Amino acid sequence: MSTALIDETELSAMLARHGLELTPEQVHAILPGATIFRRMIARVNAPLPREAEPALTFNVEQR
Amino acid sequence: MSEILTIAEAARRIAIKQLSPVELTRAHLDRIRRLDPSLNAFLMVTEERALADARAAEERQMAGTLRGALDGIPIAHKDIYNTAGIRTTAHSRLLEHNVPARDAYTVKKWADAGAVMLGKLATHEFAFGGPSFDLPWPPARNPWNTEHFTAGSSSGTGAAVAAGLILGGTGSDTGGSIRGPAALCGIAGIKPTYGLSSRAGILPLAFTLDHAGPLAWTAEDCALLLQGMAGHDPEDPASANRPIPDFTNLLNQGVKGLRIGVVRHFFETDHRASDATRAGIDAAIDFFRKEGADVRDITLSPAADYHAVGYLIMITEAFTLHAPWMRERFNDYGELFRDRVALAATVSGPDMVQTARRRRVLCQEMAAAMDDLDIIVSASAPGEAPRIEDVTKWTNMEKPSFTMPFNVTGFPAISLCTGFGVGGLPIAMQLVGRPFTEPKLFQAAHAYETAMSWRARRPAMAD
Repeated sequence: MSTALIDETELSAMLARHGLELTPEQVHAILPGATIFRRMIARVNAPLPREAEPALTFNVEQR
Repeated sequence: MSEILTIAEAARRIAIKQLSPVELTRAHLDRIRRLDPSLNAFLMVTEERALADARAAEERQMAGTLRGALDGIPIAHKDIYNTAGIRTTAHSRLLEHNVPARDAYTVKKWADAGAVMLGKLATHEFAFGGPSFDLPWPPARNPWNTEHFTAGSSSGTGAAVAAGLILGGTGSDTGGSIRGPAALCGIAGIKPTYGLSSRAGILPLAFTLDHAGPLAWTAEDCALLLQGMAGHDPEDPASANRPIPDFTNLLNQGVKGLRIGVVRHFFETDHRASDATRAGIDAAIDFFRKEGADVRDITLSPAADYHAVGYLIMITEAFTLHAPWMRERFNDYGELFRDRVALAATVSGPDMVQTARRRRVLCQEMAAAMDDLDIIVSASAPGEAPRIEDVTKWTNMEKPSFTMPFNVTGFPAISLCTGFGVGGLPIAMQLVGRPFTEPKLFQAAHAYETAMSWRARRPAMAD
């Protein structure tokens, strides 16, 4: 979990790791959204009880 | 004919042979020719198909073999719904020449019910990237003021219904894409319970949040349209295998005895809606109370919690689908879609497991809150439609969504017009039900709509 603000260098590296080799201008255009998204990531990572199961728990009877 | 009918009224007149499906269809095709150049609601008008559908409906009318309330009714489909032999583009350069071989399950259901298909409707690119000006087609415009936004992503459906180009149409809703356009265009739109209507044959955005549903002028019309869409489809793994109720059977029951909870903090503090929007909701609450409903405020987790969970799921599921194209053809997407979906690259595996855990907590919370409630009331949108050029790439992410909580939980939710704001544009509220209780949702919605005067007023351009 990362709650720190994100900069263009870090964002560019993350995008590249996912196969998105973008120009500096394209990375710059995504940065404001990445900052908003970081706050959302921090919010979902607030502690939960250890026994809290995911919504998509494996269902053995699924077809 | 110049009068714009509701589906219910058109069906009544068709049933007693007072209205010709062919004449009705020609009238709507004329309206499209006259009004759509300033609305951009249609990506394609299928005039030949529409007239063939209408002639077939008229033959059934004359033979006394009408198939029900949708027979002969002019509709159109959001351009992420596959239509056999008819281009389906997702409003994107990537699918500019895509012609599906099969109808989506829901498209076939409406066609089998006799609906007359007028064409394919504008959408935000792949139901997420809009309003965009760098796509092969322009964005749809709001009929109440064409300088203003329709909301999205079912933007063409919202505009076309409000302007009377069609009597109803399909939408999809991953975070509010039916209820947002319904709110800003002053119409009704329902996101049914997750699993009630099949997603098979509809281009996906996010598997666990996508819902298919209708938009129309009234809640009653939405009930009629949903009746024609709902059903178990083995090709959609989320499709619920359960009996489909009559969505109109409680319409005239009023609201006496209904238990209604108001999530006031969503629209008063978490994301403060406009004065007119809040006043409209308060007036609706007064109406429900005076009509005998039991109304009380309830408290849920902050709207921002639902918003964060919904956005993380939506963007990462969308990236999972689009990654191969995004790696090879990044610049063929519009800037809004590609930049929003690229954010998935900043999410880790543990972030997503934590998101799924939090989703369950929120689902459990909402289910518990509704244990002794029939309906939840909230806002659908923060206010009137903004000017289209004021909507930025990140506008919808910046403040908590009013609609996303019910995508995260899958509960059914309908947006209804509650009047007009200081700018003269529509304002709205949202009613939410427990899973698979759509008849009760339509019951409350219809009681409110028929007691108010808002359905008598159309955009000036539509008169």
